[in-house]
Amino acid sequence: MQIDYKGIGFKCGLEIHQRLATSTKLFCSCPNVSPSDREIARVERQQRAVAGELGSTDRSSKFEESKKRRFVYVVPSETSCLVELDEEPPHEVSKEAVEIALSVARGLGMEIFDELEPMRKEVVDGSDTSAFQRTIMIGMNGEIEVNGMRIAIPFASLEEESSGIIENNDEYALYDISRLGVPLIEVDTSPDIPSPAAAKDVALHIGTLLRLTGKVQRGIGSIRQDVNVSIRGGSRVEIKGLQEVGVISEYIENEVKRQLALVEIMAVLKSRKASVGNPKDVTSVFSGTASQLIKRSLSSGGRVIGMPLYKFEGIIGRELGEGRRLGTEISEYAKMAGVKGIIHGDEDLKGYGITEGELASLHKSLGIKKGDSFILIAAQEAQARKAAGLAASRAEMAMTVVPPETRAAINDDRHLTRFMRPLPGGSRMYPETDARPIQITKALLDKADLSKPQLEKEFSALKKQLGSEKLASEMIMSPRLQLYREILSSTKVEPSTLANVLLQKFTELKRNGYDADSIGAEKLAHVFGAYSSKRITKQAIEELLKRLSSGGEKNVDMLISDGLERFSREKVISIIKSEFKSERPEFLKKAIMSKYRLNIDGETLESVTSCL
Amino acid sequence: MSGKGNQSPSDGDYVNYSHGLASLLESSGIKPGDRIRISYKGREIEGELMPKPEIGDSDVLVVKLDNGYNFGISYKKAKISLVSTSKGTISFPKASVKNHGGLPKVTMIYTGGTIGSRLDYKTGGVYMLAKPEELLYEVPEISELADMDVVPLMSVASEDMSYLEWKRIAEEAAKAANSGSTGIVITHGTDTMHYTSAALSFMLDGIGVPVVLTGAQRSSDRGSSDAFMNLFCSVAYAAKSNISGVGICMHASSSDDKCMFIRGTKARKMHTSRRDAFRPINDLPLAFIDSKGVVSPNPAASVGAAGERPRNFKPKLGFEGKTALVKIFPNSDPEVLEFYIGRGYKGIILEGTGLGHLPVSTPHKEFNWLAKVKSAVDSGAIVGITSQCIYGRTNSNVYRNLRLLSNTGAIHCGDMTPETAFVKLGWLLGNHKREEVPALLGKNLVGEINERIRYDQFLV
Repeated sequence: MQIDYKGIGFKCGLEIHQRLATSTKLFCSCPNVSPSDREIARVERQQRAVAGELGSTDRSSKFEESKKRRFVYVVPSETSCLVELDEEPPHEVSKEAVEIALSVARGLGMEIFDELEPMRKEVVDGSDTSAFQRTIMIGMNGEIEVNGMRIAIPFASLEEESSGIIENNDEYALYDISRLGVPLIEVDTSPDIPSPAAAKDVALHIGTLLRLTGKVQRGIGSIRQDVNVSIRGGSRVEIKGLQEVGVISEYIENEVKRQLALVEIMAVLKSRKASVGNPKDVTSVFSGTASQLIKRSLSSGGRVIGMPLYKFEGIIGRELGEGRRLGTEISEYAKMAGVKGIIHGDEDLKGYGITEGELASLHKSLGIKKGDSFILIAAQEAQARKAAGLAASRAEMAMTVVPPETRAAINDDRHLTRFMRPLPGGSRMYPETDARPIQITKALLDKADLSKPQLEKEFSALKKQLGSEKLASEMIMSPRLQLYREILSSTKVEPSTLANVLLQKFTELKRNGYDADSIGAEKLAHVFGAYSSKRITKQAIEELLKRLSSGGEKNVDMLISDGLERFSREKVISIIKSEFKSERPEFLKKAIMSKYRLNIDGETLESVTSCL
Repeated sequence: MSGKGNQSPSDGDYVNYSHGLASLLESSGIKPGDRIRISYKGREIEGELMPKPEIGDSDVLVVKLDNGYNFGISYKKAKISLVSTSKGTISFPKASVKNHGGLPKVTMIYTGGTIGSRLDYKTGGVYMLAKPEELLYEVPEISELADMDVVPLMSVASEDMSYLEWKRIAEEAAKAANSGSTGIVITHGTDTMHYTSAALSFMLDGIGVPVVLTGAQRSSDRGSSDAFMNLFCSVAYAAKSNISGVGICMHASSSDDKCMFIRGTKARKMHTSRRDAFRPINDLPLAFIDSKGVVSPNPAASVGAAGERPRNFKPKLGFEGKTALVKIFPNSDPEVLEFYIGRGYKGIILEGTGLGHLPVSTPHKEFNWLAKVKSAVDSGAIVGITSQCIYGRTNSNVYRNLRLLSNTGAIHCGDMTPETAFVKLGWLLGNHKREEVPALLGKNLVGEINERIRYDQFLV
């Protein structure tokens, strides 16, 4: 299906979050990462809504909601201190992080004001020990040009990374605070990206600009792209958790299709004058049921709650994306109450072990006729009723609105999303009174201008360095650009050899199950240093990378001396004399290389054999 | 942690803005809270003018954008105009104490401090709660524990407290006990809370009900504040405990799982910022109170039997304000004693080193305290000696230097913390004849001296 994006009122904007590779966190002296981190304690906290603006009833009910859950924080030895634990006020903001952020803001053509004001953004899910995130607006009103499109960048901020979630259940959420407080740059585009394909280009462009600073973290999770998508008649939906920018357009396209399907469903339901009925206890219908699912629930004292969906027949089963139906979405809402799922009328009920007879008495009990549908929820009564209420709210929305939601990317090759939570209203922000405002001096701005990422300039420099436009354009877009520069600055390896290894070889290795990206920059520099000083051959580079990427602490020198040393001319001659003296000349080179491919480079062999 | 100023957000419209900027704003009829338009480099930005914090360039306007972020811009670079005047600041919901009736009556005396400070979410200004009931509004589940009676006594940051405030607090507590309260909770700033708890321990000796001091290390405007659990556990203890007497109830650890109740004369703030800053010194916690309000007395802690509840309890409010606490350190100048005696001081607690040493056999005469201590004692002042080790007991015999010191008439104060010894001396001098004081200083009166320090009473 070819979609006319302009025609459907497509709106799309990006929020790019990139972690910075600073020596410390944003508001304390802890390192961002540490190889020797270990758990030294667990701290348990409770948080409550402290909204002064809410009415008192809201207040207590909100509290009731929040008091059930505890937050447990795993405390790492190296990457946390009392600041992460909310046991000490923040330190001075990291100058390094501010400088990188200013440099990015300049690279995005933004206005930077005279004083940056640290703010607190209230966070309620426990991912911040303080119950707020510190965030600083860095600039406004920027613009970038991507493939001839002008995309406005209205906003960029410097903020603290949140904790990583380890475990989440009804009782508690377990968080790792090692990444809490790592500086993060957020860059937002305006919502006028014209198509899913363009969104990918814009994301790549911004990612490249950020990497050009040379001061960003690499690896999984270090950059996140959140996408906001809506169409006419639909609603703004935020997609989080997109791990690879390469498939961003597929997710956006599928979200558009989902909203188109929901808009269509809305029209059908409206024309049918559909409605959602009241939940009813229908346990008696299933008193002698053979359905395992229902039986299990009833035997533990549960009830079955049914809810009529008048004139919904055929709609709950309607597909919104591969394998995902309106019923899936209704079920996701119901699951917020802690139930396992729902059964609905558009499903194959025999599959659940529900008989025709049960179905007939269910219809009677719920007062539904042909053309109607229903939902069943089997659980403890209070839970089932709560779930029914949530399901009803989603079913009602199907008739009136595409719900504004935050959705999570499901990371498989269908590129679909699932419901996370309703789209939050504007977060409450208030000044971080424990941190000083940051004065923006002319010296800071000059420095930012000097260091700002400049795509064109960098590209032509790379082109010159690599002698290939193709290689240069791949390298500049690559997440390994920073690595490329680091290795180049510390070794004498030829740029094109290095670029080829980092681009092609790394991808090839990854395809074959070797995670070359897990090898640290220092070790890689060591490998290329060994190559450029002729200690190893070009072929041995790949072998070394394989051995280094299979995990564990490995010493490059030891790996080299374990059969990967390059043979000198003299050694090659002596090997030929001792091991290959009876080899026929036309097979000699092949025979030698099949045994010593990793140790002898072609050039040496050529020069030796040509003298024989 | 977040500021302790007692400044109301309405104090002066242009506070902290430079004269030039303030007069420009005034002449344009713009006040903080108004919506303004800023023309800057050919663009226009709208937002709300914020009050200026104490820090930052005073020529810089702080403006809140519609996305909630603030930024600062120098008024010299921009043109400012009024869009609309303020619709007024967000008002705090009306707080009222909801009592179920039939529960133990607990009086909460509010004295100020972080636990009573609140943030103006708009401006970020921290100010004292207008009404202490607002604190209860923060912790509505307290109404399940007790029928609360709230007394807004004062709004004084703990570093600003003096014995004059201690007296007022003690009076109020006695009044509450005499009017039938089952227990008393006093909210207090944390910095000097252990001085107040020591003072109240002496002043309220025999009150017959639990008197619980509590506070917060994180202000209650943040969802992670320790104020909520501290307050809840304190009320639980005040309502349920049958141990009478004064103590501090704060977090037992960094986790929000339980609080502990520490004897008022044995508590000390041992950390600048952690939730679990208050620790028992040479003592064990008397009880733990979990986050559900369950009170578990510590079987290992020694507690005197609960006294009879007196009919008309009279606090002993005397206190000699001319009492000083002086720290000994290498190179310290003993003449400081002459200064105090000259100013009419009646009692001096010295915070000595180790077992309670002062420099008394120094190679250099100017650093020798012996003669000055002796003449202070001879002039009629009481000189007590404690240890800056904090933990452990002082001794007057082990070394010759200690014996020399003891011979001057200075009194080693057992295992009292310097703060408790200082408070005790002031209280003794305010309630007893001068000649009774030396003997009483070294004698346990209200649990301030532990004659038997257990192995497990260190670094608790």
